[in-house]
Amino acid sequence: MEFKRLEKWGSELNLCIRCGYCCEHCPLYRASNWEIDTPRGRLLLAYGLLTGEVDPSPYVAEKLFECFYCGNCSKSCSAKVTPTDIFTDARADLLEFGFAGQGTTVRNDEKLCMACGRCVLTCKSEALSVDMGSMRVLVDKVKCKGCGVCVAECPVGAMSQKTGFGVSREELSAAVENSLRTMNGSPKVVVFCCNWSMTPGLQLSRMEFKGAENASGIIVTVCSGRIDPGLILEAFDQGAWGVMIACCPLDECEHDGNYRAKERCALVGRLLDVLGVQSERLKLEHFATGEAQKLKNALKSFAGEIASLGPI
Amino acid sequence: MDIDVKRLKEIVGEEDVRDDIADLYVYGSDASVHEANPSVVVRPETVEEVQGIVRYANTALVPVIARGAGSSASGQAVPIDGGIVIDFKRMNRIKAIRPRDILCKVEPGVVCDDLNRALQPHGLWFPSAPESGRIATIGGTIANNGSGVRAIKYGTMRDYVLGMKVVLANGDLVTLGADTRAQASGYQLDRLMVGSEGTLGLIVEATLLLRHLPRFKAMGMAKFSKLEDAGETISDIVASEVTPSLLELVDDIAITALNKTLNMNLPQVEAIVVFECDGRLKDAVDYDMATIKEICEKNSAFGVEMGSDAKEMERIYSGRKKLFAALSRYREGLVCTSLADDMAVPSSRIAECARKIHEIGERNHVVMNAYGHCGIGLLHTKILMEVTRKEQWEDARRAVDEVYDYVRSVGGTTSGEHGIAISKAPAWKKEKADSLQMMKAIKTALDPNNILNPHKLMDAPDDWVTATKLRYPVQL
Ligand SMILES: Cc1cc2nc3c(=O)[nH]c(=O)nc-3n(C[C@H](O)[C@H](O)[C@H](O)COP(=O)(O)OP(=O)(O)OC[C@H]3O[C@@H](n4cnc5c(N)ncnc54)[C@H](O)[C@@H]3O)c2cc1C
Repeated sequence: MEFKRLEKWGSELNLCIRCGYCCEHCPLYRASNWEIDTPRGRLLLAYGLLTGEVDPSPYVAEKLFECFYCGNCSKSCSAKVTPTDIFTDARADLLEFGFAGQGTTVRNDEKLCMACGRCVLTCKSEALSVDMGSMRVLVDKVKCKGCGVCVAECPVGAMSQKTGFGVSREELSAAVENSLRTMNGSPKVVVFCCNWSMTPGLQLSRMEFKGAENASGIIVTVCSGRIDPGLILEAFDQGAWGVMIACCPLDECEHDGNYRAKERCALVGRLLDVLGVQSERLKLEHFATGEAQKLKNALKSFAGEIASLGPI
Repeated sequence: MDIDVKRLKEIVGEEDVRDDIADLYVYGSDASVHEANPSVVVRPETVEEVQGIVRYANTALVPVIARGAGSSASGQAVPIDGGIVIDFKRMNRIKAIRPRDILCKVEPGVVCDDLNRALQPHGLWFPSAPESGRIATIGGTIANNGSGVRAIKYGTMRDYVLGMKVVLANGDLVTLGADTRAQASGYQLDRLMVGSEGTLGLIVEATLLLRHLPRFKAMGMAKFSKLEDAGETISDIVASEVTPSLLELVDDIAITALNKTLNMNLPQVEAIVVFECDGRLKDAVDYDMATIKEICEKNSAFGVEMGSDAKEMERIYSGRKKLFAALSRYREGLVCTSLADDMAVPSSRIAECARKIHEIGERNHVVMNAYGHCGIGLLHTKILMEVTRKEQWEDARRAVDEVYDYVRSVGGTTSGEHGIAISKAPAWKKEKADSLQMMKAIKTALDPNNILNPHKLMDAPDDWVTATKLRYPVQL
């Protein structure tokens, strides 16, 4: 089997020293804790395909179609290997051999879809198109970066993504509910946080003893573009005193998800006003990679403001 | 290998057993040059599950290889004979932080940097987190007897292990050590596990000593136009009354690599020495820094920079953590391999050893550089070579032999912190020639069926190049 596109990465794959520095902030790895879900693991798969030690299979394809393209792996690689580019080429080759994994790519439910085209307009990766003949939305699985912006944008819920990474709509709802239920102390603040602004708290370990101070209320969404207005309202409905959306600086989002988040925040803010709830309870802030301290400070001061407002 | 996967699934649950070839392949490597697939991977969450797996393996005579993050550099986590890999990442709970006792209790899969994040609000830290601490686990770091960059002042992993719970090869659970710093007489069995690379028992809980976070820190950087001067500076600092909290050497090859990959804009000199002092009193820290500056200047350093603001310190030090990988970009066509990577020599020999490493590299047609936590006599090197060319492996083999012949001749040791496993075993066996029998006797007593990480350390093959399949596409 000839992996035409993957072939050119052979020498780059040799440069990867397999140190695993890419693993820590990979949302897929954090969701499963299996080695195969690390960028290092998926690079190994690509390598195995090239050397013939791993045969293409539906399972291998599923793994290589899983990536949110947050780019943390590339940013943390000091050998300057760019895993996401390699995964994209692996996807294209696998597709050619008939292995189309679902992975993190979006699905369109034809029965619900009205082919309105809103998803097409919001997709910065140009992965979506409407086939005018059949009036169906087509998903380009090589281009789809799994940001979920279209899922949040679809007015009829026709776009969806596989569960298992903690960021599908159902999982986000469950995470909001769970974090509000387990939050001890006040004020009750829910924070939706992009993956690449390093989140506070432990990354790969757990603290389990009496009196342990865990960062509660932080929900990693991977991209802020995935947060639809309904999700924010759900948080308030379930008892949140305040909601913060921590996303990337405006021009730094691969998917323009932060622009969507900004629009939706403004919309929900107006709704809160109408409902007689102070719109200051909803806040959107921007953080760049590595601004963990700034994020910590912002969370602290937001919690202070919300505490003074009290519960709704 | 005949393994009863169904039985393993009964022990840890269906979800936590994997035997698809794709999974086995990714669990077959670490950060070394070696590769060998396991037969199955299991992820226990409790001590009982670990015991169950080991009991089964001991009866079925199947190898068991513990794995933390698989960041080892010499093949520690590579299952050379196949078998069961136990991935400890679900046993990742910090179970207690006891500031009054200055200790904590953790499961083996806790990630070192996470532990430090958890300790910080208590004003405490665990200084022995390795550079790879963002993924390296406590279990792996104990089993490799790793060390952090601040080992010169704070010691290495063995200084932080007060006790542990260990599952032995027959499945028994034993408690070694105690919750106290003072522990006199009797065999120090907890220490025996430190550095045992998963060959004597499986650590399922560790009690670690902690330290108070220092109140003040200052960092400095000195440039040298001769590598010898930098080496002498390090030897002089170590021999002086000052104990810096960090003392690192970075040579010209490393400087080039860092400038290339991380745009660090470091001056292209023959060597840089980075140093740090910490303490409770700013004046005391400043005083020590001034002494070090004097020593640097006496040895012809120029442009000594010093700073105590966090950003400045980060700038001075930022590249170091990423150096290993950055070396991969030193020169087009060369790949950075982790070979002969962490020898230690008496501190008066730093300059000589660094020079020897360069010479040996040149003589054998590979590039070798010198950097590392030289304050504890530790020198890192990497072999940069054309990995797909067969002859280069002959070159590397010779270079490795020559480096270690030198290290032994001056009373040094094969590994200062990364461990032995496969690639360093031939040299290490020469170094430890007269204690190998003792080690074998210990191994046989604790693991009579040789199931725990077999064929590593004293039992590793005599030729590291052919010990396993190499991770690069090369026909030997
Ligand atoms: C870029 C880079 C930088 C590094 N920097 C440093 C450094 O500064 N200092 C340093 O000391 N090392 C360093 N290392 C080496 C390595 O990362 C460390 O030794 C690390 O502590 C290994 O931890 P791990 O969780 O990856 O262990 P693994 O590689 O998974 O395992 C290491 C060994 O421990 C055994 N083991 C794992 N868990 C257990 C357990 N629960 N019970 C018994 N045995 C177990 C394994 O069988 C294996 O033999 C570096 C490596 C890289 C790639």
